[in-house]
Amino acid sequence: MPAKDRDAYIDPDAEEDDFSAEEHDSVGSGDDFDQGTSSRGGKRGGLAGGKKGAEARLKSKGKGGDGYAWEGSISRTWDQVREDDGGSLELSVQEAIARARRKKLQQSGQAVRRTIIRHLVLMLDLSRSMTDRDLRPSRFDLGLEYARAFISEWFDQNPLGQIGVVGMRNGIGERLGEMSGNPQEVLRSIADRDKLMPAGEPSLQNAVEMARGTMSHLPSHASREIVIIFGSLTTCDPDNIFDTLEGCVKDKIRISIVALAAEMKVCRELCERTNGTFAVAMNEGHFKDVLFELIPPPAQLAAPAGAPGRSGPASSAAELMLMGFPSRLPETSPPSLCACHSTIKSEGFICPRCKVKLCDVPTDCDVCGLMIVSSPHLARSYHHLFPVQGYRPVMSMTQENPAGVPAQLACHGCSLPFPLRTLDSSANGGDAGDAAAADGISPLGRYRCPKCAKDFCSDCDVFVHDALHVCPGCC
Amino acid sequence: MDTSTTKAAREDPPAHLTLIVDLNPLQWELSSQASNDTPLSLSQFLAQLMIFINAHLAARDDNTLAVIGALPGYSVMLYSTDDSPPDDEAPARHQANSFQPFRMVDGRIASRIQEEMEKSTDLDGKTDRGLVGAITKALCHINRVNLLSVALTNNPESTSAMAPPSSQSPRMLILSISPDASTSYIPLMNSIFAAQKLKVKIDVCKIFGSDTVFLQQAAYLTGGSYLVLERRDALLQYLSMCFLPPASLRKVLATPSQDKVDFRAACFCHKKVVDIGCVCSVCLSIFCYPITRTSCSTCGTRFPLQTLKRLGYIRQPAAQANGRSKPNGTANGK
Repeated sequence: MPAKDRDAYIDPDAEEDDFSAEEHDSVGSGDDFDQGTSSRGGKRGGLAGGKKGAEARLKSKGKGGDGYAWEGSISRTWDQVREDDGGSLELSVQEAIARARRKKLQQSGQAVRRTIIRHLVLMLDLSRSMTDRDLRPSRFDLGLEYARAFISEWFDQNPLGQIGVVGMRNGIGERLGEMSGNPQEVLRSIADRDKLMPAGEPSLQNAVEMARGTMSHLPSHASREIVIIFGSLTTCDPDNIFDTLEGCVKDKIRISIVALAAEMKVCRELCERTNGTFAVAMNEGHFKDVLFELIPPPAQLAAPAGAPGRSGPASSAAELMLMGFPSRLPETSPPSLCACHSTIKSEGFICPRCKVKLCDVPTDCDVCGLMIVSSPHLARSYHHLFPVQGYRPVMSMTQENPAGVPAQLACHGCSLPFPLRTLDSSANGGDAGDAAAADGISPLGRYRCPKCAKDFCSDCDVFVHDALHVCPGCC
Repeated sequence: MDTSTTKAAREDPPAHLTLIVDLNPLQWELSSQASNDTPLSLSQFLAQLMIFINAHLAARDDNTLAVIGALPGYSVMLYSTDDSPPDDEAPARHQANSFQPFRMVDGRIASRIQEEMEKSTDLDGKTDRGLVGAITKALCHINRVNLLSVALTNNPESTSAMAPPSSQSPRMLILSISPDASTSYIPLMNSIFAAQKLKVKIDVCKIFGSDTVFLQQAAYLTGGSYLVLERRDALLQYLSMCFLPPASLRKVLATPSQDKVDFRAACFCHKKVVDIGCVCSVCLSIFCYPITRTSCSTCGTRFPLQTLKRLGYIRQPAAQANGRSKPNGTANGK
C-alpha cells in the first residue's frame, strides 16, 4: 500500500477531540498531528484520564448534549457512589465490586460446542511505537508482561492448544517461537527482553502471512487463531493487505486485535471479516481485561441446536483424533536420553506407539508425531463443555421461598452465614434496588442454583463459575 | 533439624486445615468388623481424630480448622473455627483434667456427627456424592476465608475480635473409607484444578477399602501425599507424622510419595484402559483404536468417512448397536 493511502484506513470515527490531543501531545507519537480530524496519538474514550480527564472534557466541550457516539459509553462512575446512613461508603463500594464481578458471569451462557483443540499465533508489535510511555512503564514492557500472563492463563484453560509467537519489527515478521504445546517453551521464546527491543515499522501483512503459513497444515477440527497486540498506527506492507485478508477468511483464521493506540479501519476490518474481536485498550487495567477476554475457547458458530444433532452440516468440523496416553516413569527409574532435548533424565513419559521418552506432556511425539496427552489434560477441558448453570439472584425472601421451607441461614458453599445487613438499605432505596435488579444483583446477597435450589453468597457464586465449575449443591 | 528450618517454621503463616471426614455408615460398619486384621470402629477413629485436631490447634495459636462431613448423598459443615459458639451451650462443669477450649471443640464435633448420623437412614446408593460435595464446600470456604483475610489486611482499622490472620496456608485432609464412584469424575477433577489454583494441597489418608484412583490423582496433582494405612490401630501415629507438620516442614520430613499414579484413560465404549485412543474433537470422549463406530456415543456427532478409513474403521454391527444403547462412559457420566 502506498504510504499516502495509509491514512485512508484510519477510521475518523475513532477519533478524539481536542482534550485528548492535549493530553497526548507530550507523548509525542503523533508526528503530523491535526486536531479534530487526525487520529494520531488519540485514544478512544476519555477514560484513560479517569475522572479528571472526563471533567476536563466536559468543560472543553461545554454542555453540548449528545456529542460523539463514543461518548455514550462513558459512565460517570462517581455519581453512583452514595453514602449510607452512617456516612460510610462501604456498601456502595461492595455493590460496585459485586456488580463488576457479576457482569462477567452473565455473559457465559449454556452448553455450546467449543473449540478445544486450538492453535494460536500471538503477534507482538515490536515497532518503534511500542516505546511510547502512555501505558506505564511503557507499551513494550506492559505488553510483554501481559503477553506472558496471557500465555500462562491460556494454557491453563486450553491444555490441548498450541501457541506460536511472531514479532513485527523493521517491516518484517519475525518468528520468535515455533508452535508449541508446552507453556515453558513458549514463555522462553519471549523471556529475553533485550532480544525483543522495538525497532522500525511494523508490517501487518508480512506477519499475518507468516502466521498463515505456520498454520496452513493444520487439520480441520483445530481452530486457527491470531491474536495481535498492536501499538502502531501504521502498517508497512509490500502488497495489498486485503488479499491477505481474503486468504485468512478462506483458511478460516480468526484474527483478534488489541490495539494500544487508536482504532484503525484496516484492523477492524481484519477482525470483523474473520469473526474475531477488536478492542482498543483505554488504560493498563482495560488492556489486561480485553486481552484476557480472548482466553476462553470460542463457541463454534455452527453449534447444533437443541438435541445433539445426529446429522447435518454442524458436524462437519468434527473429527476423530488419534491420541496416545503415555505411561509415566517414576524418578527412581534408570536415567536415559529424552527425544525432545537429548538430555539424561530419570523421569519422563513413554510414547505408547514408538516407545520414545518425552520430557513433558501434552506434546506431539518427536519421533512418530502422535499427540501425547494424559487424562487430566482432557479432564481440564471438560468444564468448557459442561458448564455450571448460572445462578439466579434472589430478589426477596417472601416471594421466592416455597411455603414451609425454612430460609437457608448460611451459604451452601462456604457455610458462612448470609449478611443480615443487605445492599438494599434505606440509604439507596428503591432506585438503586431497581438498578440492582437490572444488573442481576440480588439485594439480599443470595444467588440460587436453578437445579438444586440452594442459595449461595456472591463470593461463592463467582468462585463456583470462575474457578470451581461444579455446583456444590448439585454434585 | 538445623536452625534455618526452625526459623522458617517460625515465620510460616498459620495453617488452615480443612478435614473432610467420610462418614459413610456402611463402610464404617465394614471397617469395624472383627474379620479385619485391625478393626477400627467409628468411635475409636473419632477418639484418635480428636487428639489430632487438638494437636493441630495447639501447635499454634492462630491455626484454624474446618471439619466437613461427607455422608451418603450429602455433605455438611460440622465445625469451623470462625463459627460463633451456640448460645444454648451451657457452661459444663469444669473438669480439672482437660483444657476447656479443646473440650468444647471435641464436644461440638462429636455431637454434630451424632446428629448427622442419626439423620441419615438411607444407606445404599449415592456413596461418593457426598465426598465431592464436601470437597467443593471446603474449597468455597477456603476461598471465602482468603477473601476475608485480604479485605482485612487492606483496612487494618476494622479488625474485629475474630479477625483471621493476614495470610494462611490452607490445606485439606481427606479421610476416606469409601470406594471411587465413577459418576463423580468430572466434578472431582474440576475441584482438583480449582484447588491447584487456590494453591491448596490435598492430602488423602485411605483408612479402609481399596485404593481410589481419583483421590490418588487429587493428591498427586495438588502436591499432597496419599497414604494407605497399613495398621489401622496406629491411625494417630500416621496422622501426626504425615499430616500434622506444616508445608515448610514437609520438605525435611520423608512424607510418603507416590511412585505410580495411573493417568491412563479408559475408553468409553468398552471401559478398557487404552494406550492409544481416538478422541472425539467435539466432546473429548475416548474410543478404542481401531475405531468401531461411525458416530460419537456421547454427543452423537458423525465422524467423516475419510478419517474413519484412515483410522482403520472396522464394521462391527453388533458392537455398534450395543454401544449406542449403553449409558455414557466414565468421564461423561454427568
